[in-house]
Amino acid sequence: MSMTASASIILAAMVAVYIIAKIFKVSTELSIFAATLAGALVGGAGIPARHIVEGAFTYLDICLIFITATLFMNFLKESGGVAFVVRRILQRFHRRKFILFVLLTVLLLIPGMLTGAGSVTVLVVGGMVATVLGYMGISKPKTAAIVFIIAGLSAAAPPVSLWAMLTAAGVNMPYVGFFVPLMAPCLLLALMTIFILGWKAKPADLELALKELPEAPAGMNWLKVILPFLIFLILVIAGRIWPFSFPIMGLPLIFCGSAVITLALSPKKIDILEVSRRTVHQLLPLIGTLTCVGVLVQIMTLTGVRGLISVTVVTLPVMVVILTLFITLPVSETVLMWGSAPVLGVPLILLFNHIGLDPVVALAGMSVIWPLGDAIPPTAIIGRLTVETIGMKEPYKNFLKYCIIPAILIIIVGTLMVVFSKKLSFLKVF
Amino acid sequence: MLRKISILALGLALAFFSGLSFYRSRHLKEPVVLGPGVTQVKKLSEYFPAIKGSTNDANVYVLEGAKPGGAILILGGSHPEEPAGRLTTWILTENATLEQGRLFVLNSANRSGTTVTRLGGAYPPDYTIRTPWGEQKFRTGDRWSNPLDQWPDPEVYIHYPSRQELAYVDIRNLNRAWPGRPNGTLTEKTGYALTQLIKKEKVDIVIDLHEAELQYPVISTIVAHQRGQDLAAMASMVISAEEFKIDMENSPKALHGLSHREIGDNTDAVSLLFETPEPFLDATRGRTDARLLLEGKDEFVVRAGKHGLLYEKIDEKGWPIDVRVGRHCSTFIQVLDLWSQDHADKAVVMKNVPKYREVIQKGVGAFLHDPAKADPKTVYYE
Repeated sequence: MSMTASASIILAAMVAVYIIAKIFKVSTELSIFAATLAGALVGGAGIPARHIVEGAFTYLDICLIFITATLFMNFLKESGGVAFVVRRILQRFHRRKFILFVLLTVLLLIPGMLTGAGSVTVLVVGGMVATVLGYMGISKPKTAAIVFIIAGLSAAAPPVSLWAMLTAAGVNMPYVGFFVPLMAPCLLLALMTIFILGWKAKPADLELALKELPEAPAGMNWLKVILPFLIFLILVIAGRIWPFSFPIMGLPLIFCGSAVITLALSPKKIDILEVSRRTVHQLLPLIGTLTCVGVLVQIMTLTGVRGLISVTVVTLPVMVVILTLFITLPVSETVLMWGSAPVLGVPLILLFNHIGLDPVVALAGMSVIWPLGDAIPPTAIIGRLTVETIGMKEPYKNFLKYCIIPAILIIIVGTLMVVFSKKLSFLKVF
Repeated sequence: MLRKISILALGLALAFFSGLSFYRSRHLKEPVVLGPGVTQVKKLSEYFPAIKGSTNDANVYVLEGAKPGGAILILGGSHPEEPAGRLTTWILTENATLEQGRLFVLNSANRSGTTVTRLGGAYPPDYTIRTPWGEQKFRTGDRWSNPLDQWPDPEVYIHYPSRQELAYVDIRNLNRAWPGRPNGTLTEKTGYALTQLIKKEKVDIVIDLHEAELQYPVISTIVAHQRGQDLAAMASMVISAEEFKIDMENSPKALHGLSHREIGDNTDAVSLLFETPEPFLDATRGRTDARLLLEGKDEFVVRAGKHGLLYEKIDEKGWPIDVRVGRHCSTFIQVLDLWSQDHADKAVVMKNVPKYREVIQKGVGAFLHDPAKADPKTVYYE
C-alpha cells in the first residue's frame, strides 16, 4: 500500500473516532486522545507508550505558564487589586473614550508581546479590561471578541512571536528584521478592533458603575497593584538587557515571583490552598486539551498523517496556497497550536522563498493570521479561556460572530503582506 | 471511583513503559573500539574543567602521526539527529591512522542532545547498523540538548557575544552557541570548551558534520568561513568532477552562533561545515521511523520534489545512510589532501578511511568493529 493511501486511511479513522466521541458528548480533550489512540492502532503502532508520554510533554512549558499566570491573577483578584484598578480607571477616563481605548489596547498588547502567549494577555489583563469595557456598555460577547483578537495579535507581536520564531528556526533563518513587519500590523489591527467593536460604547454612568463594582479593601493602593506587574516586567526585561549575567528564570518562575509579591502586599488574608485548587480546577480542560494535542501531533507524525497534510498543502498551486492561507493557517492552529509553525509554516516559507517572496515579511503576515485559529472549535483553546476569564454566559457562537469583522481585516492585511512581501521588505529595519 | 482507578492504572502503565524506554535510551552504551591510529582518549573537560562530570564531558579521540604536522578537529553529533555525522566519526576513530599531524575526533559533540528525542517529532529512540559480526545500536538524539540537562529556556535566546536574537529553543542548540560562554548554559559551556580545545591544540581546520532536510537551501555543500573559501571551493570542484556533486557556500557574516562563522571569527582555525541530505528531517516526511532515518526513502518528500520544492534531488532510491556517510568521508579526505598539498609543514596525512564508493559498496557496518572481540582496554563508550 502506498504511503498516501495508508496515511489517508489512518487520518480517516482518526476523524471518524473523533466525530463518534463528540456524538457521545465526550469532552474535547478525551475525544482528541481517543482519535490519537485510533490513529496509532490503525497505523500499526499499537499503544506506543513512549510516543504518548513524549507527545504529552510537548507543551509542558506552556501549561506551566498558564497555571502560574492564572494563579498570580487569581491572587490579585482575591486581594482586591482588580476591583481597585477598575474603579480608578473608570473614575479617571470614563468620559474620554479615545484615550481609554488606546490605553486599554496597549495594556492588552504588552503581556503577549513579552511572552509570546495570547493566553497570558487574557489571564493577566483580560479580566480587568473586560470589566472596564462592560461598564462602557459593551456586551460580554463583544468584549470577549476584543480581548481575544488583541490577545492573539499581542502573541504575534514582537519581540517574542512564537510562530515566527519556530518557523524561522525550522528553516535556519535568523530571527532578525521581524520587529516592524510584526509590530506595525499588530498595533494597527488591535486599534481597529477595539474602535470598530467598541464604536457604540458610551461613557459609563460613573455613579451607578461604582455602586455596582465591589469595593476595594482598605489599604489597597496603586503601588500594591503595580508592584507585582513591575516585578514581572523587571524580571523579563532584565533577562533581555543582561542576558549574560542575569539567570534564566523562565516565565513560570517569574509569574510565581509576582504571585508571592501579590500575597505579601495583600491587605487581606488569602487562602492560598483554596485559590490554588480553584486555579488548577479552572484550567484543567485547557491543560488537558494542550496535553492531548501534543500526543496527537506526535502520533500524526509517527504514522505519516502530518506529512500527508503538509505535502498536500504545499503542493497545491501557489496562488491557491496563498489565497487559502486564511483557512489553512487558522485550522492548523486549531489542531496543532504552535505546532502548526514547524508542521505547516516551515514548508510554506520554504515554498515562498523558493518563488522569490520575502520570507521575513511573508512570515510576519502569516504570523498575524495564525492566532485566529485559537477561537475555532472544537479546541478553541484561547477562545474558551477568554470566554471563561471574562465570565461570558452567552452561547460561544455569539462571541465568534463579533470576531468576524476583525478577523476579515486581519486576513486581508496578513495575506497582502505575503503577496507584496518583496515590496514591503523595506520594513525589515531591525 | 472505578473510572478514576482505571485512568490512574492507565497513567501508571504508560508512565512505567515509557519511563523504561526513556531510561534505556539515556543510558544506552554506544561502544567505540579504538582503531590503531588512536593514541590518546581525552575528556573535553581537560580543556575547560567546568564541564567535568556533566553530560557533555565528551570523549576526545586523538590520533597522532609519527611526523609533526597540522591539527584537525572533526565534530560529529553537534546535531545528533543527523546520524551520518556521528557514524563518520565512528569510522574515523575505529579505522583511521595518521602518518603526519594530529586529528581530534568528537563522536558526540553535544552528548546531551544524544540522550533525548524531539517532543512531537516521533523520532525512534535508537537505530541499528548491521555489521559483519552482528548489529550495533546508536541513540537517535535530537537537534537540541536534553531539557533534563538544561531547563528552563528563556523567552528569547540572545546569542553571546553578538546579542543576536534567536528562537528560544536554540539556546540548547550547540550550532547556535559558538563560540560559547564560560559561565553560560551547558550548551554554551560546551561551545566554550570546544573553542578552548581549538585554541590550546592550535587546530588548523575545524570540520562540523551535519545533515539537512531537502527543503533547506543549504544542502549537499561545504559551508566555509571566508578564510576557508579557497579550500572548500577546490574540494567542491575536485569531488564534483571525480565522485559526486557537492557545492560550496560562503558562511553568512550576519548569522551568528554557527560553527562556520564563529570558529573562523574567534580562533585561528579555518572552519568548514559539511551538509548531506537527510529526508528524515523534512517537514513533509511521511511515517517517521528508523527505516526512514537510515534508508532516506519517502513518498511524500519525493512528491514535494516533483513539485520543485526541494533543493536536492530525490527518487524512489532515497538517500541511504551509506551514501550520506560516504559523502562525508570522501569530502573529509579531499579537504585533508588539498590542505596538506598547500601546507607541507602543517600537513595531516591520513590513511585507512574509506571513500564514497567503498562505503556504499561495503556498507557503514563493515567499518565498525566488534567490541566483544576487542581488547577491553580499547573499548570506550559514548
